[in-house]
Amino acid sequence: MTDPMLTVEHVDKSFPATQGAAGMLRSFLGNSERHQVLFDVSLSVGRGELFGLLGPNGAGKSTLLKLLATLIVPERGRMTIGGVDVLRDPIGAKRQIGLCTSDERSFYFRLTARQNLEFFGALVGLHGRQLKQRIDACIDLVDLRQDLDRRFGGFSSGMKVRLTMARALLADPKILFLDEPTRAVDPVHAEELRALIRRKLVDGEGKTVVLATNLLEEAWQLCDRVAVVNRGRIVALGPPRELDVDLHAVMRYRVTIDEIDDDLLARTRTVPGFRDLRVERTEQGVVLHVELDQLDGALAALMRAVSRDGEPTLRDFRPIEAEPVDVFRKVTDQ
Amino acid sequence: MTATIAKTRAIFIRDALVTFSYPGNFALSWLGIIVEVVIAWYISKLIPPSPKFGSTGLPVEYFQFVAVNTAFVRFQSAALNSFAESIRDAQLTGTLEIVLATPTRLPTLVLSSAVWSFTYTMLQTIVYLAIAAFFGLSLSHINLVTALVFLILTVLAVSPLGVLAAALAMVIKKTGPIEWISTSTAQLFGGVYLPLTALPLALQLVGWILPITHALNGFRAAFAGVPVSGVAGDAIWLLVASAVLMPLSLWMFARAVQKARVDGTLSMY
Repeated sequence: MTDPMLTVEHVDKSFPATQGAAGMLRSFLGNSERHQVLFDVSLSVGRGELFGLLGPNGAGKSTLLKLLATLIVPERGRMTIGGVDVLRDPIGAKRQIGLCTSDERSFYFRLTARQNLEFFGALVGLHGRQLKQRIDACIDLVDLRQDLDRRFGGFSSGMKVRLTMARALLADPKILFLDEPTRAVDPVHAEELRALIRRKLVDGEGKTVVLATNLLEEAWQLCDRVAVVNRGRIVALGPPRELDVDLHAVMRYRVTIDEIDDDLLARTRTVPGFRDLRVERTEQGVVLHVELDQLDGALAALMRAVSRDGEPTLRDFRPIEAEPVDVFRKVTDQ
Repeated sequence: MTATIAKTRAIFIRDALVTFSYPGNFALSWLGIIVEVVIAWYISKLIPPSPKFGSTGLPVEYFQFVAVNTAFVRFQSAALNSFAESIRDAQLTGTLEIVLATPTRLPTLVLSSAVWSFTYTMLQTIVYLAIAAFFGLSLSHINLVTALVFLILTVLAVSPLGVLAAALAMVIKKTGPIEWISTSTAQLFGGVYLPLTALPLALQLVGWILPITHALNGFRAAFAGVPVSGVAGDAIWLLVASAVLMPLSLWMFARAVQKARVDGTLSMY
């Protein structure tokens, strides 16, 4: 990658183990135990790339986005956005970002959507006709024009999330940090938001997007590259297709045979990389659903195992492609 | 500079819209002014005029003393409450992180958060004085230049206390103790209801340190027709207090925000 839009180098982050008054007292007494949430995180995102942060809840995805948005500071490490050091020049870094948090409360409930956008638009440096034009453009992108003069407090969860997206786009930022943007959105609008992110913002306008999600299909479908985050560490990073192969994902086979006996089952279970076997009896014969780690020789061993005295009783043999969930389970040990 | 003014204007409009969005509370706050004046007027009927209520050595009505004090002490309350409440509201509504993620400097954010509150307080003070005039407050000798000078100096001197309260709210996530301590301290030691000379010497010293004491001295003098030169000591004290406390309070606020960033508590409430 010759021209990264974003770099993160060896970032560590921890939080006090005890919050509130007890935490303050411990800190004052010099006994501040901390809970580490990110460990030596390094990554780089290219200009115009849609980069996914995929991980289970509490993995550290949102923490990483907040670090990049200057809302928290790391103990160690360096981050740049568009060549600007986030820690040394936070205002310069913030001029380039649009943040879409997962917190749908982040508006003034008593104000209308328009009044909210006018306020946040002014804070990112817009005013006058330019502000009005940007509000019009962004509100159309998220299909909320007819609700523009309704109070935010009356919005549904999905509408709140879409307004969050409109706000993130107001300043026409070079890079967008999206924290679970399709959470709580109905399927139709979720698909529209995904199309907006991929086709319009990334492919159309060349924006860089960092998308935190715990939806595997979303990451696999949208992202150019995905970093799988687990317990504060990046445990896998690459294009989704390469992750399938590189991580020796679980391979599934659907084997249909004439009949079954204990010897065949025993042979199948000793195949190298064997993980799971489920037997199903159908009108076409006995169907074995076999899961194997993707190891050299495993497939040949399975073919031998389902043969009887060298005579194959095989009727059908179908590999089933690895699912993203298999990759996710494997790298996160779930 | 234009961007800073536009941001201050946006924060002012936001706060005004939020205030107007609670029409019941808005109406009651104006009704409360009438009640305050009437209570002060009734109490003053029980207290005879005294030279202690003025600075000229001549006997002055207690209503003249207490009405001016209660009219202008609300500027300290506005300062102490508005900055901290603004932070607290932002924590509760979840807007604090989003606001801090915009390219807006901290002094602009925190200082702008009280502009509406001071404007609203100014309007309430004018109405208070008009109602008090109906009940007998003398406005005939008022020196408008002195009043204006002390209005500016008071806002400058009490604002840092509000910023310090906001810094505390950023860390402790509550504003209740700040409001209680500030209100009772001003009323007891600032000479709102009693002249400072009525207090024991040690408490007089405490009162003398407080900016509100000097602010109220200036306003009472303005209503007695005294020029700025007649209360120059109080004016200088307010000026020095604001010059020392303003940078200190902004530094403390920046430290509090930095601590919240380190501890990851910006969005907590």
